[in-house]
Amino acid sequence: MLVVKIGGDIIQSRMEESLLSDIRRIHESGGLILVHGGGDEVTRIAEMLGKEQRFIQSPSGIRSRYTDLETVQIYTMVMAGRVNKAVVRWLQSGGVPAVGLSGIDGALIRARRKKRLLIIDERGRKRIIEGGYTGKITEVERGLLDLLVENGYLPVVAPIAIGEEYEPLNVDSDRAAAHIAGAVGADRVIFLTDVQGVTLNGKLLERMTLKEAEEILPRMGAGMDKKVLASIEALKAGVKEAVICSGFLDEPITRAIEHKGGTVITLE
Amino acid sequence: MTLNVKCPECDGEIEIPSDVISGEIVSCPDCGMDYEVVLTEDGGIELKPAEIEGEDWGE
Repeated sequence: MLVVKIGGDIIQSRMEESLLSDIRRIHESGGLILVHGGGDEVTRIAEMLGKEQRFIQSPSGIRSRYTDLETVQIYTMVMAGRVNKAVVRWLQSGGVPAVGLSGIDGALIRARRKKRLLIIDERGRKRIIEGGYTGKITEVERGLLDLLVENGYLPVVAPIAIGEEYEPLNVDSDRAAAHIAGAVGADRVIFLTDVQGVTLNGKLLERMTLKEAEEILPRMGAGMDKKVLASIEALKAGVKEAVICSGFLDEPITRAIEHKGGTVITLE
Repeated sequence: MTLNVKCPECDGEIEIPSDVISGEIVSCPDCGMDYEVVLTEDGGIELKPAEIEGEDWGE
């Protein structure tokens, strides 16, 4: 089984034949599950609706959306609707039997709502605020994914979880992909992004062990830190290999499997 | 301008900014404990051990 996360920027500008044919070929050769991002599209639609998006910063520098009740409603609408259906329509147009799901459907992704968050406020001080509607993933229901994959379908998962009180929760798509990969016993998880892989001082890191990934994590910039963390989580969940690579090259999934470019992270 | 409050854990002196607001986190310089500041209705300051969730890492 292979899990591939497709970043929102790829969905915006790269939904074309070379990627589609790559997905079709990989899908036909064995089990494939896609997870997509799309945070920028959520921001764009929210602002069109007059809902200004607020971003908060954690003490370690992670910048994230503050997901209040109105925002999570817009988030669910855009991720499970507009973005997910755009990906499914595109795949269907190329003959790929895609089925769009969010983590709410079949309680595919369960999460515990984060009730309080530690942020750095506008004065540069640490402060606790109400957590809004984000969650920490606790469980993935693999039976539903197995059912689809065994019957020849390609699941396309939007990063929305269902909370303990059945509320929708915003979860990070990289980490959703990692949890799904761990739950289904995937051999590999691939993060297709808009850069060539993990770089340090301008140099691409082609291979890393889990230990090296943990050491390098605090030095990663915004965006890449989540992918490295998700890779670590996937490996700890039993996935044999995580690959972070560009989705803007021809046949990016095949290239990732063949270790042609990108950063490959393994246990040892 | 700061106020000094005793650390409930070790009796060390914790400096609190005078413009502090509820929810702010302060640390004891002696024992390192983190506390959440709670402003009471009568204008007083209480410290309670900080119970912090992980980072907000949604999309």
